[in-house]
Amino acid sequence: MSVDDRMVPHKPAVIAPGHTSATVSDQIGEIVFRKTPRWWYFAFGGSFVLVMLLLMALTKLLVEGTGIWGLNNPVGWGFAIINFVWWIGIGHAGTLISAILLLLRQEWRTSINRFAEAMTLFAVACAGLYPLIHVGRPWLAYWLLPYPNTMGMWPQFRSPLVWDVFAVSTYATVSLLFWYVGLIPDLATLRDRSRSPLKQKIYGMLAMGWRGSAAHWHNYETAYLLLAGLATPLVVSVHTVVSFDFAVGQLPGWHATIFPPYFVAGAIFAGFAMVLTLAIPLRAVFNLHDFITIRHIQNMCKVMLATGLIVAYGYLVEIFMAWYSGHWLEQFMILNRITGPYRYHWWALILCNILVVQLLWIRRVRTNPVTAWIIAMFVNVGMWLERFVIVVTSLHRDFLPSSWGMYSGTFWDWATFIGSIGLFLALLFLFLRFLPMISIFEMRTILPKGESKS
Amino acid sequence: MSERSTWSAPAELAQLERKLWMIGGAGALLSILGALLDRAQAVQSYLVAWLLWAGVAFGCFAVMVLHHLSRGGWGLMVRRVFEAATKTMPLLAILFVPVLLGLPHLYSWADPEAVAASEYLQQKTNYLNASFFTLRFVAYFVILGGLGWLICRRSLEQDATGDPRLARRMQRLAGPSLGIYVLVATLAAVDWIMSLDPLWYSSLFGVYFVGGHGVSAFAFVILAALWLSKRQPMSRVFTHRHFHDYGKLLFAFVMLWAYFALSQLLIIWSGNLAEEITWYFERIQGGWKYLGMALGLLHFGLPFLLLLSRNLKRDARRLAIVAALLLVLRWVDLYWQVGPAFHHGGLALHWLDLTTVVGLGGIWLAAVARFLGRHSLLPINDPHLEEALPGD
Repeated sequence: MSVDDRMVPHKPAVIAPGHTSATVSDQIGEIVFRKTPRWWYFAFGGSFVLVMLLLMALTKLLVEGTGIWGLNNPVGWGFAIINFVWWIGIGHAGTLISAILLLLRQEWRTSINRFAEAMTLFAVACAGLYPLIHVGRPWLAYWLLPYPNTMGMWPQFRSPLVWDVFAVSTYATVSLLFWYVGLIPDLATLRDRSRSPLKQKIYGMLAMGWRGSAAHWHNYETAYLLLAGLATPLVVSVHTVVSFDFAVGQLPGWHATIFPPYFVAGAIFAGFAMVLTLAIPLRAVFNLHDFITIRHIQNMCKVMLATGLIVAYGYLVEIFMAWYSGHWLEQFMILNRITGPYRYHWWALILCNILVVQLLWIRRVRTNPVTAWIIAMFVNVGMWLERFVIVVTSLHRDFLPSSWGMYSGTFWDWATFIGSIGLFLALLFLFLRFLPMISIFEMRTILPKGESKS
Repeated sequence: MSERSTWSAPAELAQLERKLWMIGGAGALLSILGALLDRAQAVQSYLVAWLLWAGVAFGCFAVMVLHHLSRGGWGLMVRRVFEAATKTMPLLAILFVPVLLGLPHLYSWADPEAVAASEYLQQKTNYLNASFFTLRFVAYFVILGGLGWLICRRSLEQDATGDPRLARRMQRLAGPSLGIYVLVATLAAVDWIMSLDPLWYSSLFGVYFVGGHGVSAFAFVILAALWLSKRQPMSRVFTHRHFHDYGKLLFAFVMLWAYFALSQLLIIWSGNLAEEITWYFERIQGGWKYLGMALGLLHFGLPFLLLLSRNLKRDARRLAIVAALLLVLRWVDLYWQVGPAFHHGGLALHWLDLTTVVGLGGIWLAAVARFLGRHSLLPINDPHLEEALPGD
């Protein structure tokens, strides 16, 4: 880079040069109409096998009860809550990209927001599954809702577990609406471009009569901005409530005031890792290098680095406060994490979530899709381990040494977890096949000459 | 555009600086007089005043590095204000001496009798003791002051030479600086406020302190920007758009502060553990209760509702009223955190609370004005300046 290059403040392109409205519509829209590639059958088939595994695990669970899991007396919360928090955290990046970056006028979000939102929906679906099956009798799950009943029973409104019901269902609803509203103009594009009458009918119905008139666009923009405004506080509130599930208790390791901000940061951290995990292979397979550029990957890596540092701060301040407090229970909890029977989990977590992530300070690591993808995979694992460490190490040695115990997932725990990954991937492959994974009309607006929108 | 003399401070700034020195001097004299009468009360009042103005300076440092890091256009117009506040760190360090002299009046761990009487305090004296406290204090200011000095020097060098590499160098320094600032602020919050009640601890406290710094910095910067925007030369370049940006950022920090405050309260209230709840227990009783309510209503509720309005954020005068309110509430917040450690019976305002905050404020603001008077009010050679200025 010469000195002259540095002098001119330039922003790298968010879309490769040479594209016009027509090429954008063609290249993204055609993915849906092209003949289904062979790899898709293998990929979808593989995920579908895992969905079957999930169904098998759930059937077994409903027949025999939660006894098939590894839960025991000190550790009454295990994989179900770990996986719930892991999935719901992953979802947050989608909302952050689509809502907050929209409000911050970060136009690079345009090419990744559609599938990030889809990812959110599928992740929330996977997350929602766990509390539902964890109640043991899912057919009575509606007891969680406050409704007047002959028994005069109400949920405990002071419990964050009840707030979770509201937070997560609101989140799922708003995410779905946001995603769908964003899809409408593109569904109309697909309707107009599809050649088979059946597809025209289906996409036409889904497009809800979109004609692209000025009035349509006006209403659309207002609705989209309002939904973005609504979704933004949800990114913070959902994971804050999730952190309260732990923090309002009295258990050392759970009862920490730092939990809300550090859980929110952790959620965004995990979510961006998952977006990278998906985006990097997709751009290779569908040849989307023009739309998902190195700049996107680099920006996502920067967000991951920043949120990863907040998470590291959370770990540090927990350790410092346990020491500073002089409270022997707090100190025991931290020492037990670092040197106790689950120490390998803890050290692996530090490796994945803190040490490896520091490589992102280096520009060449951030701008290389392969290294970025590997680091993102480390974070996916690390964030799962984080929830494992928080849930299990705090519970397994609580106040009474006589009731200490150990916990590990059984075959059925793992089957449910891996099955839910299969469900997530299967939904994602269906989405890729039937809907445009990049917002066509928004891409048109960021074309160099197409600045129709502010 | 790149003529440096065009952007030098208006003549009124020198007059303002003189007035501020006089106010500061008068406040200092009265406070010294008060210290002769009641030494304990004087250092207790002084600590709150110092925390307020040091908070503005720390916040300005943090926001300045955030601006360099994100290369946001919003920061360019007020970058010199951030720098002026950052450069006051050596002065603030010297002004901490009265606190160091009065440690036994403030912190029970520095009082040998109290330590001898309490087993818990003896456990903590490895960390909480006068010499280590002073050493940490020096380290905080050497680290942050040093980073601030490095960044400000490059910024001024950019004015002089226009070397395009300087922007990138400042950005490189900014990332680590922000992280270091958060760590330092966390430890400082423990030292200066949390250890007033040596048994109490809360892992959120550091970021709560940081959130307060953010509010302080933007409240102050909005007031400074209003003053500058009413006078030549800056009146030519300040527009509604700039105040809109500052208003949004102030709004964000007000919400962040409230989020931290509420999270900490809710978790401790729900847990209801004897070693934690006592901190709130004192602060929600007697006269302190009203200050707590004032924080909820005026540090969050009212500013939240007002700052929702786009028109208000674009109107510099009305925005400045909200900013002034918040700056006052910053003092209330610190007073509410610090005061109950000395006045267990209830709220006990003292005239020294006023003289210390005004005296120290006068001196601190005069130092800021002095810096602004000596340098160009705009970073004239910044490569992004054109974007931040209104189009001709």
